[in-house]
Amino acid sequence: MNHDVELDARGLNCPLPILRAKKALNGMQSGQVLKVVATDPGAVKDFQTFAKQTGNELLSHAEADREFTLYMKRK
Amino acid sequence: VNAAWVTGGAFALAFVFGAVGNRTNFCTMGAVSDWVNMGDLNRMRMWLLAIAVALLGSSALQLAGVVDLGKSIYPGPNFTWLSYLVGGFLFGVGMTLGSGCGSKTLIRIGAGNLKSLIVYVFLGIAAYMTLKGLFGAFRVGVLERASVTLSSGQDLPSLLGLHRAVIAAVIGAAMLAFVYKSREFRASFDYTLGGVVTGLVVVGGWVVSGVFGHVAEHPETLQEAFIATNTGRMESFSFVSPMAYTLEYLMLWTDKSKIVTYGIASGLGVIAGSAAYALATRTFRWEGFRDAEDTANHMLGGMLMGFGGITALGCTIGQAITGISTLALGSVMTFAAIVAGSALTMKYQYWRAGG
Repeated sequence: MNHDVELDARGLNCPLPILRAKKALNGMQSGQVLKVVATDPGAVKDFQTFAKQTGNELLSHAEADREFTLYMKRK
Repeated sequence: VNAAWVTGGAFALAFVFGAVGNRTNFCTMGAVSDWVNMGDLNRMRMWLLAIAVALLGSSALQLAGVVDLGKSIYPGPNFTWLSYLVGGFLFGVGMTLGSGCGSKTLIRIGAGNLKSLIVYVFLGIAAYMTLKGLFGAFRVGVLERASVTLSSGQDLPSLLGLHRAVIAAVIGAAMLAFVYKSREFRASFDYTLGGVVTGLVVVGGWVVSGVFGHVAEHPETLQEAFIATNTGRMESFSFVSPMAYTLEYLMLWTDKSKIVTYGIASGLGVIAGSAAYALATRTFRWEGFRDAEDTANHMLGGMLMGFGGITALGCTIGQAITGISTLALGSVMTFAAIVAGSALTMKYQYWRAGG
């Protein structure tokens, strides 16, 4: 998937992936896509909650080789 | 009375807590994070539900005469207010730096997180140093000097002159109303599961120590005793001092006076329960440090939790659920201080985060 900004959150645990994503989204334009790569087992649940609460759409999430890749669109 | 019933009971209850905690993502630091960083209160509701269930269940046990909560460490007359505030605040900072509180550390270890194993070691050593070592001198010589003696005890029924049943019912009902006011919370089975099971585990914990482990007159000392505990008092779940005593037990293995206690068994039970769930659901995964900063944060986080947890007499479970179930004022104060320390640390982390 095309993305405008990429955040490497591998090896980080809650709350850092969310905090860094929040900061990255703050610096982006509406409609731009943020790619997040994370390894925290709770990352998908956390980003689903984050999307629901903030209105930034979670476009997709997938798991491969013990890594989660998530795409989020800036509202 | 048999010590194996006490340690076996603690292990079994902790095993259930570990498995359910892993499944439901129960996390007191996560509760603060969801609230502060996203405005989502569901995991905070899970924590409050656990407190309400523990409070109502423990009060029922007390009123039925099954256990005497006054025999635990929480509602005693020594109100060390500065220790609750400083210890709680530092515990809150520590759990935010260290990927979660004491119980979450155990749950993460069970799921394969090696960072949490390092947190465990640093937490345990700092806790031991605060119990008996260098930090202990500061705790006793400075922080605990700021204390007030409340002659009838620091539990709300004594302080307010109201019946325990009334206070427990009012606070419990208010919490339950807040928790279940949310449609989203009501719609999720896992939220209720995580809160109710955690609360019941604490209630069951009192029964294990206060009934199975209770000796009215110990044959050696001729005094009342709660066997297989590190405090000598009636215990339920708490996770900071047990980590210190687990390390001590391993290091002084050949000292026959050291035994597996309620606390040691409960810590191992949480790890085992979480590991069993992670393996059964194929979610077990090894996790390691990202870089030097991540390593330093976890080492510091563990040490702050060890110091803070001993100083404040407990953690987000030990004070904020077990302690509050006795209606001790210090427990409520510690709960607030932990949340404040955690929330402020998250504000700092956000400000510092690379954008």
